[in-house]
Amino acid sequence: MERMERRTFLKLAGATAGAVVLSGLFYDQLFAGMILKPGEELFESRFGVTKEMMKKVLEAALSKGGDFAELFFEYRLSNNVVMEDDIIRESDETVALGVGIRVLNGKQTGFAYTSDLSPETMRRAALTAAAIAAAPGKVRVARIEPVQPGRQVYLMERPFADAPLGDRIALVQEAYTAAKGHDPRITKVVANLGDSLQCVTIVNSDGLMVSDVRPQARLSAFAVAEENGKRVNGGDNAGGRVGMTFYRTPGKTPKEIGVRAAEEAIVLLGAVDPAPGEWPVVLGRHQSGVMVHEAVGHPLEGDSNWQKTSIMWDQMGKMVAHPSVTIYDDATIPHFRGSLNVDDEGTPSEKVVLIENGRLVNYLHDRLSARILKMKPNGHGRRERFDNVPIPRMCNTVLAPGQASPEDVIGSVKKGFFAESYAGGMVEDTGKFTFSVNLGYLIEDGRLTQPVKNATLIGTNLQILKEVEMIGNDMDYFLGTCGKSGQGAPVTAGTPTFKIRQMTVGGRS
Amino acid sequence: MSAKNGDRLGLAQSLVAYGTRKGASQIEVSISEGTESRLSVLDQNIDQLTESVFNNLNLRVLVDGRTATASSSDFTTETLERLVDNAIARARLGGQDPFAGLPEAEPIRARAEELGIYDPAVPEMTVERRIAYAKAAEAIGLKDPRIKKSKGAACNGFSWNNTLANSKGFAGSYRRSLVNCYVGFQSGEGQNLFEDYWQDSSTHLADLRPAEELGKKAVERVVRLLGGRMVESQVVPVVFDPQMGAWLLGFIGQCLGGDSIARRSSFLTDKLGTAVGNARVNIVDDGVMPGGRGTVPFDGEGVPSRRTVVFDQGVLKSYLVDTYWGRKIKHPSTGSGGGTTNFYWAAGTSSPEEIIRSVDKGLYFTRFLGLGQEPTTGDISVGAFGLWIEKGELTFPVSEITVSANVGDMLKNVEMVGNDLDMRDTVCAPTLKISGMTVGGKKA
Repeated sequence: MERMERRTFLKLAGATAGAVVLSGLFYDQLFAGMILKPGEELFESRFGVTKEMMKKVLEAALSKGGDFAELFFEYRLSNNVVMEDDIIRESDETVALGVGIRVLNGKQTGFAYTSDLSPETMRRAALTAAAIAAAPGKVRVARIEPVQPGRQVYLMERPFADAPLGDRIALVQEAYTAAKGHDPRITKVVANLGDSLQCVTIVNSDGLMVSDVRPQARLSAFAVAEENGKRVNGGDNAGGRVGMTFYRTPGKTPKEIGVRAAEEAIVLLGAVDPAPGEWPVVLGRHQSGVMVHEAVGHPLEGDSNWQKTSIMWDQMGKMVAHPSVTIYDDATIPHFRGSLNVDDEGTPSEKVVLIENGRLVNYLHDRLSARILKMKPNGHGRRERFDNVPIPRMCNTVLAPGQASPEDVIGSVKKGFFAESYAGGMVEDTGKFTFSVNLGYLIEDGRLTQPVKNATLIGTNLQILKEVEMIGNDMDYFLGTCGKSGQGAPVTAGTPTFKIRQMTVGGRS
Repeated sequence: MSAKNGDRLGLAQSLVAYGTRKGASQIEVSISEGTESRLSVLDQNIDQLTESVFNNLNLRVLVDGRTATASSSDFTTETLERLVDNAIARARLGGQDPFAGLPEAEPIRARAEELGIYDPAVPEMTVERRIAYAKAAEAIGLKDPRIKKSKGAACNGFSWNNTLANSKGFAGSYRRSLVNCYVGFQSGEGQNLFEDYWQDSSTHLADLRPAEELGKKAVERVVRLLGGRMVESQVVPVVFDPQMGAWLLGFIGQCLGGDSIARRSSFLTDKLGTAVGNARVNIVDDGVMPGGRGTVPFDGEGVPSRRTVVFDQGVLKSYLVDTYWGRKIKHPSTGSGGGTTNFYWAAGTSSPEEIIRSVDKGLYFTRFLGLGQEPTTGDISVGAFGLWIEKGELTFPVSEITVSANVGDMLKNVEMVGNDLDMRDTVCAPTLKISGMTVGGKKA
């Protein structure tokens, strides 16, 4: 419940046997055929919140002298189906409804929220948020003009919201069965499908009114392998802002997800602990986006830069990475888990180049950090739910590919470490980070040899960025949930296979 | 704003009746409702002020041993009844599970009022007082020349009411309060920066430690990291300060959960009744500790809280399980349907100073970074900060190292247990000395 210090972390899906889920044979009629329609109709037609009422609430929010006010309406329906011990063990449906009311007064934020959308309750909440300022009202609420998002990056033919529960169960069963039957040493499998449909309407005192309807789905498998008293686990998942048909594309089928989860566990049965020390490290393409997310993305979020606690706050325009490094965050990649049409403050989503050929050129902003740093908001203000304030967040963070073949990258290392999959990573504002490698390999004479488990990679972001030596021409993305200030955000990050000259590898010898 | 206390028990019971009428063979409804007041400052200016009422309802239905769950922040009758209808329909499509079902009603052992878990002074604490507290804590660091930046300070208050009713006849509710404050600082030279924080939380406002104490402790924790450097990789004893002890214990708590055991994804699977650790391992989960941060009269499914000895002189005596996972592994519920409660490693007899003095060469571990905890194997490996111990003395700060070990081995290698257990949080440990851990750094 309490927010602790700000240390951000990223948990990868797959290794979370108890994750959330949903389903929708009985999906909410509210959403029938609503994917393409503006969401403001939902809050007016279902909850009776008219534009006039919204304007009155904004006026109350600014009545004590705040300079900007915003309402974030959310209605989200989430479903989860879990298969375990050969049965569909549980299904869940969750409704989140409410409005978050935010008032800015210079750098200060006043915030209140409520699940009761009656005019009187919303007004009371607005007056509570207004108390961040203590002066006569000075800013007037502009005329509210509804607009459509400038892009639609998650239109689909068959959203999960329209899929019968039986179809979802079939996907989960297929992943489960594939993992369970992959090898006799697989003793336990959990498979789950989580999907949601989030409808938001953002209205602010500048007169903006915009709505977005955002689907999200993820199918995960988790497998335990046992042999000679040794017990290890593997996982895999796939998803995004996608519909049912996604799971019939090659590489993303439930069967492949299940087999990959089982196979990882089987390989780990033969894995050894690493020799701690400093080694050349090759980061494999499948999940090494976690490194870019932690080491580069977080320190470039606007909040810790205006607060001057990020290691990057005084580096704008400077060379912070090897000249071969270009890193961007692109919220507009169609159907990606972290993509958005507009962010949670209504700002159009963008591809934001952060590091261009080694030089720091931008931060990820929400409205507040852009205002304070006198830069442009760039569509990266996100919030987990209506009861959280927006903060600068990543969406889909990418290390741009280079020229080398992945084989050449690995082949260039005489003795070193290769990171294949991760349990997660963590970074603090000082730029110090760690990644927990679930499965790695020794590199000997340019080839992957012995599987390694329980390795930890540790370092600081500036040191690592400058020590990137080779960047592959391949590319892959992982799906994650990023945690910051107690809020989770769906993200992806992608990298090619790439090599760091030297990193500290921790673990038992 | 104050939480409308309304008739939440009445709402829960009416939904139970509705579900039963609609064909649920069992149904459980729980409601959580309360207020949160958050205040944070940065550089002595108010950064953020939040005041709100939150509410959430969870329900679980069973139809012939098939389970479905739902939750909502929308309390309109239409939505809630639709969720019950949907859950009953979804349950019918699920698998029949012989272990599924609500707990049989048991008498509550401790009445909510007697547990000392609600203090009206917490929700009544004024914004002005919270601002003053946060500013005072932050001011200690801002005026200390060794600190470069504040990472902000906060003073937050929560009070809430939990209500639960089910078709087995359980009906109960309780109120809880919590005040939580923290402050963090950063310092260092150039790009070699260090940060840490300190926090305090309590059920009763009067028990909250003074703001100045918080500020001083946070300053001390940052300053002692300054100039940290790597050491060579080696196997040494590690002294866990109480925060790192609590971090280790939190992981052990996760590995004791009935779900982890039933899924065989815990290193403690099949270990009940065996000597997992040495005699210095004494671990308890006490859900009825008066005034405790984790104290509740009953858990998330209405099972009464109790005191459970988990490790007694190293022998694993109990897992921490709820009804469902308990049935699966043939273990009675320990009232752990909400996770651990007040979970602690019992104090030993050595002072922290004696423990450090006993180490010829090793690490005093004060801050971790990373998620490297693997429940299935019990392996841990995380980034570590702390102070290097030479001949019984704290010498220089270390950073960018890792500490790694297997928790199963660690529990056999506990050499000393401190006398400094302080139940300020829901998971607490005294200073611990554990030998045979791998510190990873430069090539030896």
